[in-house]
Amino acid sequence: MCLARGRPYPQMVFPTIQFAVFFPIVLVLSWALMKRQRVWKPFMLTASFVFYSAANWTFCIMLAGMILGNQAAAKLIHRSEDQRRRKLIVVLAVVADLATLGVFKYYGFFATEINATLDSFGLGLPIPLADIVLPVGISFITFQAISYTVDVYRGLITPATTIDVGLYLSFFPHLVAGPIVRAKEFIPQLQGPRDPRKVAVGAGVALIVIGLVKKVAIADFLAREIVDPVFGVPQAYSAPDAILASYAYAVQIFCDFSGYTDIAIGLALLLGYVFPQNFDRPYRAASFGEFWRRWHMTLSRFLRDFLYIPLGGNRKGKLKTVRNLMITMLLGGLWHGAAWGFILWGAIHGTALVVEHLFRGKIKLPRWLGWVLVFHIVVLAWIPFRAPDLELAGAFYGRFLEWGPATLWTAPVVIVTFLVIAYQLLPVRPLDAIRVRFEQLHPVALGLSMATIVVLVAATVSSQGVPPFIYFSF
Amino acid sequence: MPPDKRNRFILDRPTGRVLRARDALICVFVAVIALLLIEGASIRNSGKKMDSGIQRSVVLAVGHPAGWLADQLPLADIVHDLTASLSPDDDLSGGPGGFSSAPVGGGPVSTAGGGAAAPITTDSFDSAELGEKPVKLPELKKLLVAGDSLAQPLDVQLARNLAGDGVATTRDAHLGTGISKSDLVDWGLLSAKQVKDESPDAVVMFIGANEGFPFRAAGGKRIECCGPQWAVIYATRARSMMNTYRRDGDARLYWLNLPMPRDQARQKIARAVNAAIAVAAQPYRSQVRLLDMSAVFTPGGTYRAAMDVKGRQTLVRRQDGIHLNDAGAAVATEIVAARIRQDFEKLG
Repeated sequence: MCLARGRPYPQMVFPTIQFAVFFPIVLVLSWALMKRQRVWKPFMLTASFVFYSAANWTFCIMLAGMILGNQAAAKLIHRSEDQRRRKLIVVLAVVADLATLGVFKYYGFFATEINATLDSFGLGLPIPLADIVLPVGISFITFQAISYTVDVYRGLITPATTIDVGLYLSFFPHLVAGPIVRAKEFIPQLQGPRDPRKVAVGAGVALIVIGLVKKVAIADFLAREIVDPVFGVPQAYSAPDAILASYAYAVQIFCDFSGYTDIAIGLALLLGYVFPQNFDRPYRAASFGEFWRRWHMTLSRFLRDFLYIPLGGNRKGKLKTVRNLMITMLLGGLWHGAAWGFILWGAIHGTALVVEHLFRGKIKLPRWLGWVLVFHIVVLAWIPFRAPDLELAGAFYGRFLEWGPATLWTAPVVIVTFLVIAYQLLPVRPLDAIRVRFEQLHPVALGLSMATIVVLVAATVSSQGVPPFIYFSF
Repeated sequence: MPPDKRNRFILDRPTGRVLRARDALICVFVAVIALLLIEGASIRNSGKKMDSGIQRSVVLAVGHPAGWLADQLPLADIVHDLTASLSPDDDLSGGPGGFSSAPVGGGPVSTAGGGAAAPITTDSFDSAELGEKPVKLPELKKLLVAGDSLAQPLDVQLARNLAGDGVATTRDAHLGTGISKSDLVDWGLLSAKQVKDESPDAVVMFIGANEGFPFRAAGGKRIECCGPQWAVIYATRARSMMNTYRRDGDARLYWLNLPMPRDQARQKIARAVNAAIAVAAQPYRSQVRLLDMSAVFTPGGTYRAAMDVKGRQTLVRRQDGIHLNDAGAAVATEIVAARIRQDFEKLG
């Protein structure tokens, strides 16, 4: 299996030989030990830490610290009957989680920006420069840690045992790039052994296979053929290439990220655990509200439940609703990384949601027109998200006005791009019937099918190997 | 598990029958066996290419027996033949004409019929130095930026820098590769292919993050890094590449030497690489420009993560202590672009 050929991986991501060795061993031992939960839990915790340490063992210290810190906070919240004290503890815990995220993820960005501002006033560079290693998956781990502590504070769950919290935060299928599983969804699944007579094997295998195809055969193909060249040097291309590259990036990021979560959900199913769905044909949305109910669903519900609603949601008048929407989407953008492009992306979506909110019930657009508007604004908003900086995002937009030859329009690129978009628009997905049939195959046939598709997908990998999933850097 | 009413779960949609855990194991077992039989040799080869460490040991522990098994069966060849058309690029991991097949691991594979001693031609001389009227500068239309991971993000920054001058830049970085490491990509083959495919007017080469591998001399003797014998073979290979890239004098080559890495062991390799490149470039002084990145980023051979850039202290190295970050690449880009502008017409 040479999915990772060409580039030795520094970490054990899904489409690598290391993971292909790791997972079958864990799967066998997991089911062998499942009935003996006292053994299974330390085993699975160890396996998850081994998985995480493959990126960098020092990250495990941070992960263990977050597990123990949030567990301590949850226990203190549960024990305390004083509401003010409970609130103080939860606030401190959330601040500590966000501070950890802030130091690792945003220190460099803010140090540079503040230094640049102060330097322009002749005040020197007071903040020391430091290039801090970003722990893989820290944004996802932080949100899940907050989910646990806040769910305990809200009384939705009682504190779990420390090992259960450890498993919840470190469970390897969702550890690196989600989906963001809520504590109240996952911790109850750890209360007893999973039923070995009810395992969604077909669904799990189908998701793994679909995820691999999306990532390797579609996302990486489009990145290689059109997205990376045009976004890298937009000045070298004219309008036709810029237009196709913008559609292709919309498809690439969807297939890359949803491919990852498909594999994560599929792996969890084989282990007997169920994760929430993360994508539901987002490019068929005819409104921005609908888009966010279909795109990265576990992030949008997290932002809704832990930010938008606590800020007041839409219950405190129009002005505050506008404020809350903008704060939520700007912070949602910033969550992806410390760069102005992500903030602009959040601002575009926030503004679109505000406009939609203000005109709700006043203007009724036909669904097709709503789709055209929403889809194209979404595509245009991806440009600052993908571009290395705002200057290049501006240069990219500028190319739309420079007509010239279409140098990168090849039949495979055009067909793949528009098929993925068109497929999401179909009322009934024709491939669903094939998927259900596939899921009903005999386990031996499922295994052979999986091997065949892995071999075919591996054959499409360039000598540069499989690039990391886009969301690994978030 | 009680499903969250506000969020759909994957099993809420129509799905296939629910099986047993044993079926999951059977399914994965069948897939693993099939993949070992088909891709066993690939697993072994991938393991060999990995950096040393526990992950490499694990992959090789699986890859060696799986590779042996796969070698006994025709399956891998059949599958390779059937899927070869799906591969997006050529196999450049060695073969006839490459470094790995040449005597002492580094014979010439140039397009110019070089040989160990390069021919001296008129284009070896700088007219101005001879007191002659300067010849008309060539036009730069096609630029190739190649190398290993060091070439990124230099390649994209250089492409942006020169895009306004109408220069078409091909970026061809091969991550994880090295001149002393031909099992992944053989730079002897690759440089010849790049020149054949692109016919570049100028080439920028920045390579050396993955060097230090032993060479195999005639008779099978291992030549370890980083003594004179190792440097001779490295320089021979580099000179062969230079001869290829200079296209009989039609092209200019800008070869960046290595800024010192943070790690002491890697510094030893970098010193050997830099010395070898300097020797390799000697016959081609009017076409091969050696750009001294070591002096720019690590003056005196001392590693530093930050330096003064336009009057402001700026981080220029990545966290690994090897590569340049965006700001560092921008510094390198300015130097390379300035040198290119001196050599070509209509630029600047």
